[in-house]
Amino acid sequence: MTLALELAQQALLQAGFVDGLAEFARPGTFAEVVLRGLSKAAIYVMIAAGLTLIFGLLGVLNFAHGALTMIGAYLGGLVMVLTVAQGTGPWARLALFFVAMAVVFGLLSALGGSIEVRLIRPLYDRPPIYQILLTFGVTLVLEELARIVVGFYGLQPLAEWQAALGTIPAFLETSQSLGPVSVRGLALFEIFLGALTVAAIWGFLTRTRYGLFIRAGSEDSEMAEALGIDVRRVFTVVFALGAGVAGVAGTLLMWDPVWGASVPLAAESLLPAFVVVIIGGLGTFRGTVVGGLIVGLVDATTTWWFQNVAVTWTWLPEVAIFMILVVALIVRPQGIYGVEEVGGH
Amino acid sequence: MYLVVVGLLAIYPAIYHLLTQSPLGEVAVTVLPRMETMVAVLYFSLFAMSFDFISGYTGYLSFGHAAFYGTGAYTVLLIANGKVPLLGPETPFLVALVVGAVLATVLAVVIGLVSFRLTGVYFAMITLGFAQVLYVFVRDWDYVGSNPRDGIALSGARGFELGVPYVDQLTVALGTLTGDTLALAGHTLGTTTVSFYAVGVVVLLCFAAMQRILHSPFGRVMVAIRENEERAEAIGYDTFRYKLGAFAISGFFGGVAGGLLAGFKRSVTPESGFYFLTSGDALLASIIGGFGTLAGPLWGHLFDETVREFLSKRGQGGGLLPYLEQTLSEEFLTTELVGGLTVEGFITAALNGHASLYVGIVFVLFVLYVPDGIVGTVRSRLGGRVARRLPERLWGER
Repeated sequence: MTLALELAQQALLQAGFVDGLAEFARPGTFAEVVLRGLSKAAIYVMIAAGLTLIFGLLGVLNFAHGALTMIGAYLGGLVMVLTVAQGTGPWARLALFFVAMAVVFGLLSALGGSIEVRLIRPLYDRPPIYQILLTFGVTLVLEELARIVVGFYGLQPLAEWQAALGTIPAFLETSQSLGPVSVRGLALFEIFLGALTVAAIWGFLTRTRYGLFIRAGSEDSEMAEALGIDVRRVFTVVFALGAGVAGVAGTLLMWDPVWGASVPLAAESLLPAFVVVIIGGLGTFRGTVVGGLIVGLVDATTTWWFQNVAVTWTWLPEVAIFMILVVALIVRPQGIYGVEEVGGH
Repeated sequence: MYLVVVGLLAIYPAIYHLLTQSPLGEVAVTVLPRMETMVAVLYFSLFAMSFDFISGYTGYLSFGHAAFYGTGAYTVLLIANGKVPLLGPETPFLVALVVGAVLATVLAVVIGLVSFRLTGVYFAMITLGFAQVLYVFVRDWDYVGSNPRDGIALSGARGFELGVPYVDQLTVALGTLTGDTLALAGHTLGTTTVSFYAVGVVVLLCFAAMQRILHSPFGRVMVAIRENEERAEAIGYDTFRYKLGAFAISGFFGGVAGGLLAGFKRSVTPESGFYFLTSGDALLASIIGGFGTLAGPLWGHLFDETVREFLSKRGQGGGLLPYLEQTLSEEFLTTELVGGLTVEGFITAALNGHASLYVGIVFVLFVLYVPDGIVGTVRSRLGGRVARRLPERLWGER
């Protein structure tokens, strides 16, 4: 009796799998999953971009990156909550969002720059582990400070900041239809912003004089110094820039109900950022973009399978990201575009 | 020297008891950690030592070390809840502890086989990746209990008994509520105190074993790998095997520490077992105490816990906040500083439960200015190990 039941269950599961496959392969569904994947990828690239910039030049794996994103989310939310009133129109809200982004970028760059000058600079001649340790300590301090301030103003540090989520314009919150596909406006906005960030950083690295300094410094910092570039100042600028980009990503996350501004956001954003950066190859910007795309698409696919087909593993979407990491490190330890030397002993 | 430390720890319950009864009681309750905290310090220190064993001595930062701690804790509780085949709920605690530790060892070998193909930052990241996979998995695995996100607890009002299996006289029950009391020479030792000694004995044995390994030729090779791996390889050591062996041993003791956590607390959550911040706490303890000194993590974690408890206002545990509220005058507490912020409000906002802030600051300062940690710095100041140098200082060279 029980055996028959089990067999029936198994058959049902298999049927579900085949049906799921058929449903998944339908163009409409597939396009929807890809769009969702792209929006996730945009977020992953944005939170990882600063990390990879900093590692590429300074060789510092910045554990405080997630904390900076979290602070960016709160600051961005603060600007929005203070400026947006009940009657503010959607376009004005969007404009204010870009103002908030600029403010956050400025403030976090300043914070990042001072962290580099005061705390990390004395550690360059020590083994790389010490820089991980230091930034880990900075994370603890920043997180606890955020907890104090947030708690002081009567907000729940562990829950998402609802007031900030409420400042999102209506047309981003509702579903928009693109031909046969319907997708949330926010997802499209995220893809747009992600592409903008990638283009901006790419342009900065390849088209400006400072970008040239940075690329020269990543290649060979001693040689760059010998050619008259003030490498120490470039280090500071890059760290500030990386922190600023982390803050910008945080500002975007503040609007996304999946993430939201909360203190645990620090760890939640740090871990996928690590995965993305390592898959792509530590310190290569191109690799980070590709890594973000891979992780975003895999994440969206596994999430779809979990939601629509009777997959009994609730942990699948979350584990999938780290499984990619483990597999990627086994197959290609230095990452897709990584160089063997970087990040080793 | 170790005897002195062990002795100090051994008479700590008596000291605590005496001081809290003395006229200085108020201050003592405020400053000294409670007995429950001291038990936690003991088993978590063992975990931090196992972390230091691999990270401090071979130089490979094992950022996912919590996986072993969690494995030990979960195994012990699952066995006790009768969820493990072949081992019923009657399995003695010590057997369960060893089984958990062996499982952690196996896990360490599996993770190590993959991870030791990498070095430096990549090694830290892949171990972190493995631990996070396990964390998410355990958090959502409903086999362990009805509500896996909240972790699992021992079913029923039983406690764990630590001691020689099947010999009743050599066994004591652990835990604050379910533990044994012990009457000794006219004094009755409380449940927590008994647990303190029982856990302490296990931790001491493990410490001695690790110390022994580190001072063996095997340990010398570990240090050689930390100092210059290529050279160690050139001399002819198969460094991969040594690293894997060290990782397995470290996993074993990490599992024992986790089992002790389960034994004392009778419950474990995914956060306290597998989460990466648990590894972070071990890191904290190792750095403050002294990276690459086996005894360091004990001091580091003792410091960490003392500060944490000092700054929280939990129950009768004492701590700064209740003390200030009792001693400072009402008038002073309600004085306004700026814009409606009273002294009391400020104290509550800045101190209550926010020890991580201060521990974090201390940690950053240690990384910057005291990279050798407490024990390491004392050693280099004295010019050798404390055990050897102290007698010479006191009684001159012999």
